[in-house]
Amino acid sequence: MPTPDTIVLSLESLRTTLSSLGPVLDAAILVACAAAMATVVIPAFKPYLKWTLGALLGVLSAGELVLIWFHVRLWQVCQVIDPSTGHATGGYAVPIWIESEKLYVWALMLAVIALTAKRHGDELRPMLTVGAVLLAVGSVFLGHPFTNPLPDFLAQYGQYLSAMRSADLNVAYQAFRSAESSRVYYYNAWYMWAHPPLLFFSYGAFVASFAATILMIRHRRSSYEQTAYRWARLGYLPLTLGMVVGLPWAIIAWSGEAWWWSGKVDMSLMMWVLYTAYLHSRIYLRRRGMWRVVAVLAILSFIALVLTYVTTYVVPGAHSVA
Amino acid sequence: MTDTAENTGEHKPVGAGWDFSLMMTTVALMGAIGMQSLVGTLYSWWAHRAIPNWEQTGYPGFVHVMNLIAGPIMIALIVVMGLCVPKRLFSRRTLMYVSTGMLLLGVGTGVVTQSVMTGLTVYLVVSALIQVAVVVLTLAGAGGLAYVSEVRLAKVGSGLLHLGFIVFALVIVALQSSSLMLPLSLVAGLLLTGGSAMSFYARSSSRAPVPDE
Repeated sequence: MPTPDTIVLSLESLRTTLSSLGPVLDAAILVACAAAMATVVIPAFKPYLKWTLGALLGVLSAGELVLIWFHVRLWQVCQVIDPSTGHATGGYAVPIWIESEKLYVWALMLAVIALTAKRHGDELRPMLTVGAVLLAVGSVFLGHPFTNPLPDFLAQYGQYLSAMRSADLNVAYQAFRSAESSRVYYYNAWYMWAHPPLLFFSYGAFVASFAATILMIRHRRSSYEQTAYRWARLGYLPLTLGMVVGLPWAIIAWSGEAWWWSGKVDMSLMMWVLYTAYLHSRIYLRRRGMWRVVAVLAILSFIALVLTYVTTYVVPGAHSVA
Repeated sequence: MTDTAENTGEHKPVGAGWDFSLMMTTVALMGAIGMQSLVGTLYSWWAHRAIPNWEQTGYPGFVHVMNLIAGPIMIALIVVMGLCVPKRLFSRRTLMYVSTGMLLLGVGTGVVTQSVMTGLTVYLVVSALIQVAVVVLTLAGAGGLAYVSEVRLAKVGSGLLHLGFIVFALVIVALQSSSLMLPLSLVAGLLLTGGSAMSFYARSSSRAPVPDE
């Protein structure tokens, strides 16, 4: 039977292990990023782009496996204990794409897309590689998934453990209720395991679509437009499903709050509307000059995507950390 | 279904003008909601920085004003969405009667119950029933249904997509506190995604892009 004291010890040991692996993994990621960028920038190295991209994907995948191991251990270690009975109600199934790990997952996903892109793959790959490298470097320097993992979750759980170790039963019980609520309705909620990854996958596909749109504008070739469309429609499906799946979550979790006027929600809706307009405008693509409208809509849609991400951090609201 | 265009033998395709008007109205309404969202987001961003304690003092008023502006637009969007439903099924003349009947039923219910939400709910339920009929007839391969595409998979996709929108609107308007909210949200999600997938991957136009330069 775990106690707060044994949990603190296990958690400290777990964090120490991850932190000791962190510098090695960070260095490997940065080296792989440098190699990938060299093959993008230096023409003589261009034939090796797939190899360096594969290496980056390999390193990121190894890091992801370490993070998955960390999360499995968190699930086993971070138990919530009811102070009135002394029994554990369960562990935290912390999703592998939140807080410090968000940029990391995006980098990994974009590296997969860059490596596996078939249609116009040779032209798209350098741009997608740059995107994956930027995200990976951002993850190392801003996210710190290995050296400072899940700061909000661990701080929140640390407060719960402190309250449980105090002599005051009322304080312990209040902390238990708060911890159990966040465990059941946030971290372990099925929405949390469905809504974000669907949206992340769609964002990855939209990055590929944007890259193909840039190629279309630059070279004025319809085949690039086809590629942009194929990636966009692939991204649109999980975007739609992910947003609709988010609705019941918002209704339940933010009951009583005007969550629909949260900046993040509004920008997401705008992004969906713009991608809808972009995909539908292609019906009239044979009309003279229409491809310009399609290109503009594709660019605006991608700008809305970027703003959706930025809004989370700068505009207040229910779906925000501003 | 004695009123379907095929059975009456008087099918005239729904006028391109009506179709176009509905489409343009939908675009205009979505554009209006989009603009409101953008302006609201920008205002929130500015107020968050410029007005001390805005979240505590100014946010409730902001939400109130945003709701006041968005309410009529959302109602109009639901009405237009409902009007898009019977155009697949009925000939031009019958379509006018059905659409007018749907509107009168919704408005009448709203007036009698003194509840806009109840009126919208009845309107959406009628729309959903008609759309289910459209989907069933499309799946059965019945003739006389008015679609832009000739590809059957795209027709089924379009039907499911519109049904998904109606179910989604029904959840927002009437079922937020109901135990049906969760299952129907998922049904709406699957209909929207499945319908979109069928439409995207069946549409032959996706293979015919011709930039003009």
